[in-house]
Amino acid sequence: MTHEGSGALAAAKVLNVVGLTKSYGGLKAVDDVSFEVFEGEILALVGDNGAGKSTLVKALAGAQPPDGGRIEINGVSHQLNSPRDAGEAGIGCLHQGLGLVDTLNVPENVFLGRELLTRLLLVIPQLDHRQMRERTIELLSGFGISLPRLNDPVIRLSGGQRQTVAISRLLLQDVRLVVMDEPMAALGVEEGRRVLDLVRTMRDRGISIIIISHNLEHVFQLADRIAIMKNGRLIGVVRSAATTRDEVVRMITFGAAT
Amino acid sequence: MTSNANSEPGIGHADRRWLFEGIGLTAVILALAILFILINPRFGTIANFINILTQASFIIVMAVGMTFVITSAGIDLSVGSAVAFITVVAFGFIKGGLNPLLGVALMFALGAFLGFLTGSLVAYVKIPPFITTLGMMAALRGLALVHSAGEMHFGLPTSVTYVGQGVLGGVPVPVIISLAAAVFGAWLFNRTRFGLHVRAIGGNREAARLAGVPVNRVEVMVYVLMGLFTALGGLIMMARIDSTQATIGTAMEIHVISAVIIGGTSLFGGRGSVYGSVMGALLLAMMTNALIIAGVDFFWQLVVMGGIVLIAVAISNLREQRIPALAQFMRREPSGGAESEPARGPAQKQGGTLS
Repeated sequence: MTHEGSGALAAAKVLNVVGLTKSYGGLKAVDDVSFEVFEGEILALVGDNGAGKSTLVKALAGAQPPDGGRIEINGVSHQLNSPRDAGEAGIGCLHQGLGLVDTLNVPENVFLGRELLTRLLLVIPQLDHRQMRERTIELLSGFGISLPRLNDPVIRLSGGQRQTVAISRLLLQDVRLVVMDEPMAALGVEEGRRVLDLVRTMRDRGISIIIISHNLEHVFQLADRIAIMKNGRLIGVVRSAATTRDEVVRMITFGAAT
Repeated sequence: MTSNANSEPGIGHADRRWLFEGIGLTAVILALAILFILINPRFGTIANFINILTQASFIIVMAVGMTFVITSAGIDLSVGSAVAFITVVAFGFIKGGLNPLLGVALMFALGAFLGFLTGSLVAYVKIPPFITTLGMMAALRGLALVHSAGEMHFGLPTSVTYVGQGVLGGVPVPVIISLAAAVFGAWLFNRTRFGLHVRAIGGNREAARLAGVPVNRVEVMVYVLMGLFTALGGLIMMARIDSTQATIGTAMEIHVISAVIIGGTSLFGGRGSVYGSVMGALLLAMMTNALIIAGVDFFWQLVVMGGIVLIAVAISNLREQRIPALAQFMRREPSGGAESEPARGPAQKQGGTLS
């Protein structure tokens, strides 16, 4: 698959969102939004603050169930009432805070909630630290990454290393679609570039990605298509190869689809 | 010894980490012991060491339970009152003719029930642990007083007093029990899914929830565990002096919590060490013992104890603040310092950042 994702449209539809709506009191944060994501595609979600991006992403992550509309994954309609539901449906979410426990080490974070167990004296279940450690090294090396201090609390890792840990967590869950909310925010240039590489590696493994970013440079570097939101509505989805940054900025600001 | 621990943290196996954490404190204890022996050789007799271990036994047992509570970002102020309530009730039943074994079982059942109640209030009614257990502390002390105001119970069957007074192969039974409790606690803390979940909810409750950890259930279990260890500690105390009364265990929570904090468990939750708690309890018992041998007035003993606790918390806070500093330091290193330095210039701002 090329960087442009030219074959994306021919690929299978992983996510199909139909008429999704979410209101807070009188405010329609997400208003009748429909779109689709194909296998191995990177879709960027852009828009001004308050455009409804985060609300939409929270609905997909199961963190805030929508008021109306349908979410289909691989053709099957899913009711996502909790992060667990989303996980079982094959949607993984990379939160802004990454969802890591700072005081736990790398394998403990990767396997938290899905611990590998062994049996002490054949009967008593206990953690299989060795196996979890080896699987973690395996997962990380799949990205060409080796963390020198797996046993340190992850608070001692750099921002990019923490991203890697969080993404390893997702890969372990066998996800089809990963939702990322500003993954490059607050990272240095070098670290940001590494995360871009990680996202591409995931895409190359057939995982679909929805990414929220304010950084249009990153968006154009990564995304196959760009979805633009304004005032809760999806005002257009454009192929990044067939548009310009100015045009996207115009749509974000004025909402005028050209 | 201390420098050795600092130079290689984290190297080796994940489950060996807890060994390193307690080494600094172990060194302090050894140094103090040598100092005390030099000051007064009477301190260094084997009989006195066994005495210290016995004195520390029930604090060790309860400190093991408290390690889980504090690591889960909680606190339990009610352990002293719980000891009083559990022991006076069980004592009454045993004296009334209840089979001693059933009486002991009743103590554990009571401990588990009280823990379940506390844990449920904390996890489901969302009352902060400090307030919940403050309330339990007052209520349980009150109930113990209602049950046997001013009465002093004594005269247990030997099958029960053996737990506190027996000697097995030259080692007092309470010492053996506390050692077993510590080994079990360390295993539970470091090697089981429950232990990992306790550390996870203390470190970041929301992240743990998102990862699928049943945070409320784990929190209830933490207090049930504390209740069971409290019952065991109460059993040892009661059996050792063959008596109990409604005022037993007053201010005991201070000793137990102090032992845990001295042992390096973070008051903010997420990080703890069962081994450290055991060492903390030993340090406190050793200091008390040394002060008694030195003939220091009881009131001054309290002042020294308080001072130790304050110093331990101060050290713990310093250690806590060192971690973000370390993280910042690490952040510069692995991304290739030379490469990232010039990149911090205007290039970063170029990315067409929208409001």
